[in-house]
Amino acid sequence: MKAKRRVVTASGAGAPVRRRPTVRKVKSAIVPAPPKPAVPKAPASVAARPQPAAPSPEPAERDAAPTSVDLTVDIGRGLVLPNPILVASGTFGYGVEYGDIVDVNRLGGICCKGTTLRPRIGNPTPRVTETPGGMLNSIGLQNPGVGAVIERYADTWAGWRVPVIVNVAGESVGDYVEVVRRLDGVPGIAGIELNISCPNIGRGGLQFAIDADAAASVTAAVRRATDLPLLVKLSPNVADVRPIARAIADAGADALTAVNTLSGIAVGPTRERPLLGNIYGGLSGPAIKPVALRIVYEVSQVVDVPVIAIGGVTELADVLDFLAVGAVAVQVGTAIFADPTLPVRLADELASVCRTRGLASYRPLIGTALPRRASAPSSKGVEYRP
Amino acid sequence: MQLVGAELLESREILPGQWLQAYHAPSLVTGSRAGQFVHVRTGDLSGLILRRPFSINTADGATGTITIHFRTVGRGTEWLTHLRPGDTIDMLGPLGRPFEVDAQSRHLLLIAGGLGMAGIRALADEAIRDGRQVTLLFGAASARDVYPTSLLPDEIEYVVATDDGSVGHRGFVTELVPEYEAWADQAFACGPEPMLRTLARLSVGRRGRLGVARLGRKRGGGRADPAGSPAARRKAFLQVSMEQRMGCAVGACLGCVVMTTSGTPQRVCREGPVFASEEIDWEGGWAR
Ligand SMILES: Cc1cc2nc3c(=O)[nH]c(=O)nc-3n(C[C@H](O)[C@H](O)[C@H](O)COP(=O)(O)O)c2cc1C
Ligand code: FES
Repeated sequence: MKAKRRVVTASGAGAPVRRRPTVRKVKSAIVPAPPKPAVPKAPASVAARPQPAAPSPEPAERDAAPTSVDLTVDIGRGLVLPNPILVASGTFGYGVEYGDIVDVNRLGGICCKGTTLRPRIGNPTPRVTETPGGMLNSIGLQNPGVGAVIERYADTWAGWRVPVIVNVAGESVGDYVEVVRRLDGVPGIAGIELNISCPNIGRGGLQFAIDADAAASVTAAVRRATDLPLLVKLSPNVADVRPIARAIADAGADALTAVNTLSGIAVGPTRERPLLGNIYGGLSGPAIKPVALRIVYEVSQVVDVPVIAIGGVTELADVLDFLAVGAVAVQVGTAIFADPTLPVRLADELASVCRTRGLASYRPLIGTALPRRASAPSSKGVEYRP
Repeated sequence: MQLVGAELLESREILPGQWLQAYHAPSLVTGSRAGQFVHVRTGDLSGLILRRPFSINTADGATGTITIHFRTVGRGTEWLTHLRPGDTIDMLGPLGRPFEVDAQSRHLLLIAGGLGMAGIRALADEAIRDGRQVTLLFGAASARDVYPTSLLPDEIEYVVATDDGSVGHRGFVTELVPEYEAWADQAFACGPEPMLRTLARLSVGRRGRLGVARLGRKRGGGRADPAGSPAARRKAFLQVSMEQRMGCAVGACLGCVVMTTSGTPQRVCREGPVFASEEIDWEGGWAR
């Protein structure tokens, strides 16, 4: 009944399977290029709209009067998102928590909470506080460890059509590699998103994300450890993100996601100490959107891998802005707390905007605000280069 | 858990800076239990981006009405006070785990400090409906902050303590507890953390001597219920409703945790807000 959309290239179960690096061929088995999905259901965004009486259009007729809009996003290495609206790591748990009110299978993808090798209890409280147009959080990567994450959730994920991308964090290159090794080949896991905004114990606690060499080496090491689609998440807390983005792309990332939270603090009510238990927190929400836009704008001009934007998305206009500066997809984070149904609605609204403009695909919306460049920004990943 | 539009029926400032609001939200009332809460959206995303959690102060199945009780502490609660009857707000709920009353408990001791009344109020209704006897101990700074008797069910015994002695016992509400120790089968508390910590300390010595704990052991026949399970909580003498800043309120963000004696922080919004007092690490030990 349920066609598995996830790309897990392993055919068998469980045990790590040696896979050939040519994974692109899998793609056609999952989502054929023309928008007649192999999954029994039409893409949710389309199904949600009442269709005109016309018989379901063949791919050839599409450009005349598009009733179905192709929202699929090819990240590369076989990862094809059903639509470009994902949910951001740390704001949607493991996908199960909002189950009563959100139909997860209508999301473009789920990035789960940051996962580490060993369980982490996280930071002391308070961990969250509202700020003007945003919030600060210092969860401190509380999670039960990769083993427990697989045990508790992978089966559930394997039954979903929505691709689940596991957000991975670590304190050393070895940590990252080990977590990814464990995730590799597990059915239900569609990809990896490296959270490199973590202190690198091996380099005196300097974050991987602020150092092009460290970022590249962790990317390369993880790349060697898995054939899973590999996304790497950029930190905005750097002077110039471009050399770092380039180094990560060169090291074998299939896509970049940008951005993680901005470092900040809040002061406690009595003004005797900072408010958060951890002192420092990460700023997210609408307040950071201009920063995220700037970074996506810069990064998408210097790399050829797809860029997925994150930061302050609360409405369709934000999605369109991020697409215009070169993003192929967006993640919604903090806004979910106020409006859990927002991501699904955004996918519907994006499809409807395309229909209104007579577009058969949302792709013409990508990169329209970028300076002219020799070739169009890529919405496809690079081929695997071992 | 549901996402519903709740229509404001009535809004009243019952104490200086403290409001009681009634909303029509039948589908939230159905199946909600004392101790659970709702997560309310205040304003739009351009300004206040987080929802605000409120205990379900009362829930009336017959009319589909729930009430919330809050103090105006910031822009979100301020925004709520400007709503007019007929306005509809967005509510997520019912959320969290409820108080667990043992079937054999006949005497319930409820202890509330200040706004903690909102967290415990519904349990008084529930207990009376179930034919139990309720004593409610309430602590406030002074007479002007004392929750009005008229808003409580007639059937309960209501005992007040004020810091300045302007009404009732002069001192902390926790000082009233020993008087009711022998009488109570179970105790339930909501209020400032120092109050809860004191109660937890008091209850440690009593656990063995008091009603339900003893009953529980007898019935349990050896095998212990897993900590945090409804069955284990039902056997606890003291259950506390914890408060924490929240993001999602559904267990997704891990913003709202409290440290527990298991060494793993638990989510106030999901495993709580009600916990058995012995589940909580009252020293808040985050050092590994
Ligand atoms: C409560 C919370 C927890 C987060 N946890 C993680 C995490 O574990 N890993 C990660 O890469 N990003 C994490 N993030 C960052 C978000 O994924 C996202 O990059 C950021 O919030 C910006 O997007 P937004 O403005 O839409 O929220 C977290 C954000 C929030 C608010
Ligand atoms: S508030 Fe998000 S986990 Fe409790």
